[in-house]
Amino acid sequence: MAKQAPGVRIDGLTVVYKTPAGELPAVRDVTLTLEPGTITGIVGESGSGKSTMALSLLNAVQPPGRIAAGSVEIDGLGDVVGLRGEELRKARGKHIGYVFQAAQNSLNPLKTVGKQLLDLGRSHGVDDLRGLVREAKELLGRMGLDGARVLDSHQHELSGGMRQRVGIMLALVLNAHLVVLDEPTTALDMITQANILKIVREVHAERGLTTLVITHDIGVVAEVADRLAVMYGGRLVEQGPTRHVLGAPRHPYTRGLIRAIPRLVGDIAEAQALPGRPPTLATVPKEGCVFRERCPLRMDVCDTVDPEAHADGARAVACHAVTVKEHA
Amino acid sequence: MITGTGIVKTFKQRGKVLGARDVQALRGVDFAIPRGGAASFIGESGCGKTTLGRIIAGLETYDEGEILIDGVAMSSLRHKQRQPHFRKIQLIHQDPYSALNPTRTIHQTLYAPLSLRAKQTGRPGSWIEERAAEVLTLVGLDPGTVLSRYPHQLSGGMRQRVVIARALTVDPEMLVADEAVSMIDVSLRLGILALLKDLRERLGVSVLFITHDVATARYIGDDGELYVIYRGQVVERGAVDTVIADPVHPYTQALLSAIPVLHGLEQPGEEPVVPLESLDESQADEGCLFARRCPFRGERCTSERPLLQLTEGVPQEHACFYPERRSVIARPMSEV
Repeated sequence: MAKQAPGVRIDGLTVVYKTPAGELPAVRDVTLTLEPGTITGIVGESGSGKSTMALSLLNAVQPPGRIAAGSVEIDGLGDVVGLRGEELRKARGKHIGYVFQAAQNSLNPLKTVGKQLLDLGRSHGVDDLRGLVREAKELLGRMGLDGARVLDSHQHELSGGMRQRVGIMLALVLNAHLVVLDEPTTALDMITQANILKIVREVHAERGLTTLVITHDIGVVAEVADRLAVMYGGRLVEQGPTRHVLGAPRHPYTRGLIRAIPRLVGDIAEAQALPGRPPTLATVPKEGCVFRERCPLRMDVCDTVDPEAHADGARAVACHAVTVKEHA
Repeated sequence: MITGTGIVKTFKQRGKVLGARDVQALRGVDFAIPRGGAASFIGESGCGKTTLGRIIAGLETYDEGEILIDGVAMSSLRHKQRQPHFRKIQLIHQDPYSALNPTRTIHQTLYAPLSLRAKQTGRPGSWIEERAAEVLTLVGLDPGTVLSRYPHQLSGGMRQRVVIARALTVDPEMLVADEAVSMIDVSLRLGILALLKDLRERLGVSVLFITHDVATARYIGDDGELYVIYRGQVVERGAVDTVIADPVHPYTQALLSAIPVLHGLEQPGEEPVVPLESLDESQADEGCLFARRCPFRGERCTSERPLLQLTEGVPQEHACFYPERRSVIARPMSEV
């Protein structure tokens, strides 16, 4: 079964959560295209809506949240927002692999990895379970692990980096070609992180995947992603090719984030903290720009009008000040 | 001045089933942190850096060696006599969410240590309120709005500031910050680091920073010392910028090579070092502890253990038989 890396078109996606204060948007009007065969990185702080957005790719936003508007078109699947029940269950795993945040804790502590693999196979109606095990061993071997040993192990017998690799194996073993990794290296050491990122890159290329990496760490995206999208307060504020965005960030938030990274060489005083703090679901402003409270370029219009994303070639940025400057 | 010599700590495993063994967390570590100075312990998880931090803060015992706080040897003192000395060293935990009692307001949290301090120093009750407001201002919080709040009403960054304020209530000489920013939002991290740096400069508090992130260690004190710890042994020690720019121990080089490169802004190092295998604590203890993972190991390395020492032509101390400078870290594009 030869599958190809699918393209994904997220259009006008809005996800709301029901709270005592009414329905509040965690993700608001996000439009993003994942080109087939690319790695896209989404960077955001906690509460930026990045994980909620990733879950929407599986149509797996749990109540009290719901997808209120927009569509997520995946090649070969159609609009997953419309999928229900059995159709949806089959799509998850077979078409879309998901490596969860804290994969360290997403394995069943009572079952060996091998048993969980067989459960996965049965629930997706795989007839050739031996083939599945063979495939799993191959994948684990590819990632530098002893496949047979890992499949015989319980979660507690594996290190953090090994569990993360098991998570990646489980996401890929059903031959999914769209893979979402949510914080793949959080809580891992530097050296282990470098290993995992290398594996992500290599497996992505070898198997012909479309990959989405969600992280709070710009360094992780810089290492693996072709394209970078920055989220803040539920909005996608800037996107473009990773090197371009890092080399010449345009949105004031992206600039602030990059300036706040301490470096290994050069003047340490160049690193500057961003003033203020990120908004939570309850404090995201109802109208106007989500970033204006912390923004050095704030103008009057920012208080009332939410800036739309302006595309410029491969890049897009949602900021009044940047747009005004460029069209002046 | 806080110094330690030959600190050894072994965690004994009880009931040796399933191959459980004693874990040598620290194998004879020396350190010295001058008053108002900065030092950083870096290494992978399990290397012993947190254990060492807890020992220095008086929260963990050690099996061998000696700790001197302002010249007083701790092993010569009884538990009760040690307490006023260890009071000078305060630990900032990694997790500001669990470090504060959720049922107490910030006022109550600060009141307890302050009233004790007032009693010790014979100050009046009114001093407590003044000092509470003062320490909160020191950490960049507004006492008027924060004092009556509960921890859950504050963001992670604010909570960490409260934790630091609480540490300041007892007039410490040193703060031990164990991964103090790893659970804080990225855009707020630098603010906390800047605060620690600021406290160093304004109050003369020394800071011991424990982390796996070398760049943050540099930010706290580029005039301080960096200790690279591997499996309970200091393998390289020297001035922060020297160790970062010209590391000689292959483990330090591997650690620095693993730092993500900001492509578009930075050029990767020319000779990145990738360790041969992943960390395996069960591997043999003979010879150099890093030998099995070292791409440059020689014959001596598997039979003899190199000790931390100064050798000719290398400004920093290191524990390697074949020290060699390698350019491993990424450089800014503008410099290349």
